[in-house]
Order: sequence, then structure tokens, then C-alpha cells
Amino acid sequence: MKIDTKGRLTFRGGTHPPESKSLTSESKIRPFPAVKQIAIMLSQHTGAPCRPLVRKGNAVQAGQKIGDSDAFVSAPVHSPITGKVTEIALRSHPVLGRSPAIIIDAYPHYPTKLPGFKLNDDFDENDYSAEQICEAVRQGGIVGMGGAGFPTRVKIEPNPQLPKETLIINGCECCPYITSDYRIMLEWTEQIIAGIKLARKASGCSKVLVGIEDNKPQAIEAMNAALDHYANRDGIQVVPVKTKYPQGGERQLIKAILKKDVPTGGIPPMIGVVVLNVATVAAIAEAVIHNSPLTHRVVTVTGEGIENPGNFYVPVGTPVSELIEFCGGLTEEAVKVILGGPMMGISIADLTTPVMKTTCAVTVLTKKQIGAAKFERRQTPCIRCGRCLEVCPENLNPTKIAHAVKNNLLDVAESYYIKACMECGCCSYVCPANIELTGYIKTGKTLLARQKEKMPE
Amino acid sequence: MSENITVSSAPHISKPLSTRTVMIDVIIGLIPAMAAAGYYFRIYALILIPTCVISAVATEWLCNIIRKNPNSLGDFSGVVTGIILALSLPPSLPVWAAIIGSVFAVAIGKMVFGGLGANIFNPAMVGRAFLTASFSMIMTTWTVPATIDAKMPKIAPENMLHTRTQATPLWWSKKAIEDKNGAKIYNEQQFRATFTGEVGGCLGETSTIALLIGGLYLLIRRTINPSLPLAVLISAFIFATIVYLIDSDAYVQPVFHLTSGAMLLCAFFIATDPVTAPLTTKGMWIFGIGVGTITMLIRIVGKYQEGVMYAVLLMNAITPLIDRFCKLVPSGGKPSVK
Repeated sequence: MKIDTKGRLTFRGGTHPPESKSLTSESKIRPFPAVKQIAIMLSQHTGAPCRPLVRKGNAVQAGQKIGDSDAFVSAPVHSPITGKVTEIALRSHPVLGRSPAIIIDAYPHYPTKLPGFKLNDDFDENDYSAEQICEAVRQGGIVGMGGAGFPTRVKIEPNPQLPKETLIINGCECCPYITSDYRIMLEWTEQIIAGIKLARKASGCSKVLVGIEDNKPQAIEAMNAALDHYANRDGIQVVPVKTKYPQGGERQLIKAILKKDVPTGGIPPMIGVVVLNVATVAAIAEAVIHNSPLTHRVVTVTGEGIENPGNFYVPVGTPVSELIEFCGGLTEEAVKVILGGPMMGISIADLTTPVMKTTCAVTVLTKKQIGAAKFERRQTPCIRCGRCLEVCPENLNPTKIAHAVKNNLLDVAESYYIKACMECGCCSYVCPANIELTGYIKTGKTLLARQKEKMPE
Repeated sequence: MSENITVSSAPHISKPLSTRTVMIDVIIGLIPAMAAAGYYFRIYALILIPTCVISAVATEWLCNIIRKNPNSLGDFSGVVTGIILALSLPPSLPVWAAIIGSVFAVAIGKMVFGGLGANIFNPAMVGRAFLTASFSMIMTTWTVPATIDAKMPKIAPENMLHTRTQATPLWWSKKAIEDKNGAKIYNEQQFRATFTGEVGGCLGETSTIALLIGGLYLLIRRTINPSLPLAVLISAFIFATIVYLIDSDAYVQPVFHLTSGAMLLCAFFIATDPVTAPLTTKGMWIFGIGVGTITMLIRIVGKYQEGVMYAVLLMNAITPLIDRFCKLVPSGGKPSVK
């Protein structure tokens, strides 16, 4: 199949929020100094939470595994620093509320070092067997770093029932403000290439497509240049796609590049596709080649509400407040701190919430960016203008679902396919009446899940 | 510092767009038609449009007070209802009738259902239907534009009686069906008259060019979905073509039906009222085809000259049904039953 490389590939629906990436797009990834105390959440991924492997008072080494689980869909957690476990206590988790975490006090500590990955010209992914790579990915605690945090081993491991053909590397970064993936693509290009080759080897895919939005021409160029140098193309192709939110959603990226729909409620392997984020493949390279687990990640600290925005290589477990302080603190007008971008990120009230493996950004917004009506939550009646239907990338009827949930008609919400919603937020973004459609849909999903729990079918 | 921090559900930003900006867009889209009305009907337009707008807004304000609702005038939907009602009234309508129509439109057409977003029928058309049923005489009394010498209307086809009243193009068409002279009544001169608006009819419906400009503005601003006007116009055109091909003596050329009467006002401004039209594109096509076809049925077969009002009201009534039958299927297909 020939793939268009002029950047015209796209999907139906979507919207164009202001990109606001220039705040940090030129800021190089800087190492973030380790702080005195960090908190490693035991559940940083989709799937079973980890059990702690250390006890209060234990000394831990940097890179030591401190939490693991026997479940298949799970990923271990590691300590990014050398220090002592002070306690295992509850800390604020952006999704789960209060959740157990391992609190580690750092020993007088050496500064955080960037991975400094160098790809040798004689690197050959065939030196590693697929099983070796999968095991290293599992032991390295690697999860999808784009936000969902699905354990990567589960994704790339060959499955005889669902053979994979195409590996799509997601370098879209469609969410406004965030530039961590962009910087990784520019600065750690070699590491990404090595990761791609390893992931391809492990998953058994024959074709690799790297999807990058066409508002990042430098990233496209850098990836192409590195591919020419290290891989002789070798079946790996960079595919520019149209800049539109949510192009980085895996279903949307697959639709844009391959023109295929992932079945509703299904997963990409059902149509022979695996999608991995660029940060994830970079982590794979480190875990397999350097044998170092996922303990640090690039975080964009950005937004109009922060004094000095930038991109940082941050030890997982660092409290958000330390990041903010390091960046000069919040401005007077700052009103919202968000883990992730403004479209899908989770706003937090407790700034001691630690950075997790899935935290790609900390965005601080002011009232101006949020908009007065949105900030004051002034909702007006739905005028059925249909804009939410137009922008929904999953072709759903957000207003019907939201109103069904509002009126507690969960069966109606289900009949309008509430579960197919991926909560991208486009509907709420465009709604002239400022109705929190996405919020209602999320509520509806939670209520449905609770119903099922109480009375299983 | 951090005491200002608030939390809410994602997304945390929103497009600078509100119901008011949508309504203001519609008002801007109606400006050419209002200007044409002012040019051709002078003092009538100057009286009728403000009368309808003020009484519509005042009614909404009163209803809110009576029902102890928060003030809803800021969304400007009352203004839009007033303008559209005024533009669909005969120019010489007495002021008291216009006030009754506006009050009924807003109070019974919108507020009794719970205000904006909850009404089933297009409020302006409810008001107009009420006036038509109550005062049919004054609602069918037409004035020729002020730019034409009232004693010498040059525009009506030569073989027709023309008086100060009864000079609307649709009346020519109705008469032609009786007299079997449809081929004769629509020549270049008539076409030019309906295009510029120098012809009898409702206040804002006569000028094709003004309505096209306004409609184009709404399409460019993406305030309306192109499916709906297209469906109305295409279905009406096809209907008109079929009857024209059957009997070209009795029926006028198809284009005539698009440029005359309230067809364009309906296609761009009345049928597209989002509250009372279906949500999905497929639904909009069904709705639009229904409006176009019923309008033409009334024009060709019915007793009334104009069918737009009843066509829109009838289709409004089945909008919930259309929405129910035109459910969207998720882009990944229907979920397989587990």
C-alpha cells in the first residue's frame, strides 16, 4: 500500500485548539535535580497495582525494583534514586484519589543525568531475541508514556490469535502546550530509532510507520535524517499527518494512516496494528540495551501560569510542587494546575501529587486561557447546534449521551454508545453553551461501571 | 498562590464561542434581507421589524419574571425570532397584529416549553401560523415595493389583472395553474424582479440576492450546516421540475419556485433553526427534503399560495422521530455483543 507523505492524512471530526507550543518548543531537555523526598505510586499503569517489595527503613539503590505484581497486565516500579524508604503511605493520585505510594528519602545525591544514548553503527536488533526484548520491557516497567499507561510488554508480545503486521510510532503530540515528545524526537532521535527496531523485532511487525503532525517539520526532518543514517530506511517510514486534535489518539492515527477503523470496544491488534508512543520506544531502547528501567521521563512544565516554562528530564515520583518551584513558581493569575495537556489532562488540587510514568506535562493555566464563561462554569441550554457531533472523532452523539446521563437515563446513554467515547474533550471544547459534555460522559461511564459491579449481568 | 487553584473535569479550555455569538451571526446574516426590506418597503420595514423585535424580547423578559427564571435575554434568541417573524409578515400588517404575533411566537412558541433549546416548533413560524389562522385577510394583503409606481405595476405579467394587493409572484403561479399560462408569466423581467426583490411579498422574502448573501455568510461562518439548505432547495427544485415537465403550460419554470416566496428565507434562516431541526446530517437531509416537498405540494396542489410555514411546522413535529431513526453509528462500527 502506498502511503501519502504530503501530510494530508487525517481522520473525520476533530478540532483545532490553539497550539501554544512555542512556550517550550525551543527549550532543550534539561536534567531535573533530584529532590529530597519522592513518592513512587504503586499504580502508575492500567492493570493490577504493584505490591511493595521493600519495607520501611530499607535502603534502595537507583534502578532497584521496589514494587511488582504477578498479574499479566501490570508493570513493576523502580526507584530512580539511591536512598531510604521512610514509609509506605497514601499519596494523591490524579485518577485514583488517595493511593498507596513508596516514600523514599534521597541520600545526598548526585545530579540527574540525561540518558546520553549513543547508537553504534553496528547496532543490530537481531542480537536480541524477541523473548529477551519482551522480558527486558517487562522488567524495565515500561508502560505507554502517552497517557494511558498500558503495560508495553502486553502490547508488543506476539499473540498467535492476533498477529501484528504494522507498528505505528506515535509522534503526533496533538495536545496543546506539550512539547516533551517533540524534544525527544529532536534530541534523542537515535534512541528512538533503536527502540523502534527493538519493538519491531519483539512484535514481529513487518512495517513501521512513524506518524508525526505536520506542524513539527523539524521533527520529521530529524527522524528522516536519522533513518537514512542508521537504518537505510529498512522498512521504516515517516508519515506526516495533518495537524488536528486528537490526531495522537491511537484510533485516529490508525484511521489517518491506514484508513482502517479499530472496532468499537476493540483494540488495535484486532486489525494487526500496534501503536507505541515515541517516548515509550525511547524507554524500550534504554531498558533493552542499557538494562536501565523506566525511572525518569521528560516532562514539559508549561502554561501561561508558570514563570519559566521548560522541558525537564524528571525522576518519577518528584512532587509537582517541586517542578513548579524549580520553574520560578506560579504567576499571580494561575488558577489551574493540570497533569497533562489542557484537553485531556487532569486538574489537581494537591500539588504534592508525584510525577508518574504517564505524566507528559504539567500545564498551569490562567483564567484568560480557560475563558471566563468556562472558568465560572456558566452553562446555557443546549441549542442542538450539532457542533459536538461534527467534531466527535468517534462519530458519536455527545449531546444525546450527556443529556441522557444528566437525566439519569443510563440505558439511553448506552444505546448512544457511551462506551465508545474516548474522552478527547472535543465536544466540550466547541460547545457554544459551555456544557461539560465530556464531564457528563465520564460520569455516565463511572455510574454504569458501578451498576455492573452491584448487579453483574 | 496555590489557594487560587481550582479543579474541574477536562477539557480545561474552550473555544471562544457562545450561544450569543451564534445568534449574532444569524442576525448579521439577516442584515442584507433587512436592508432589502428597508429599501423596498421603506416605512413598513422601519415599523414592523423593531415592533416585532421589541415585543419578542419584552415577552421573553416578562415570561422569565413570571416563571422566576434567570434572565435569558443575553442569548439574543428573542431578537432572532423577532426579526425572522417580521421578515415573514406582509409589509402592510398593522402594528397591533405584529405585536400579537410576536407575543404568541415567544410566549407559546418558546417560553411555555421552557425557553431556548426546549421548544418543539420554530417560534417565528408558530407566531406566523397564529396570525394566519386568526387574521387571514390582513395576512394575505400584499403591498408592492415603494420603488414601483403603485398605480402602474410593471412587473406583473401583462395578461393578468393587477391591483395594489395580490401582486406576489406566488399568486401569479397559482393563477397560472388555473389559466394554464405558466409558460408566459416567467420571463427575464420577472426573474430580475424576484432576484433583486422589486416585487410584492413578505417583508424579507422578496430579494433573492440579499438572502443569498446572508445565507452564504452563515455557510462561510459555519453557523449552519450546508446539508439542510441544500436538501430544501434541491428537493423543491426536483419537485418543481417534475411538475413542469408534466405540464409546462400550467406550471412555471422550476427556478421560479426557488427565487420567489419564502423559499430562500426558509432554506437559510427558518428551517436551519438548530433547536427544531434534527441533529445528524442524515436527519437534516430527511428534514430538508420534507420541508422542500411539502412546500411544493402546498404551492402546486394546495389552496394557499405559500407553503413554507406549514412545511416547517410539520417537519418540526417529526424532528424527534427523525433523530431517533437517524442514530449515528460509531466510526468503529457497532460494538459486538459480548
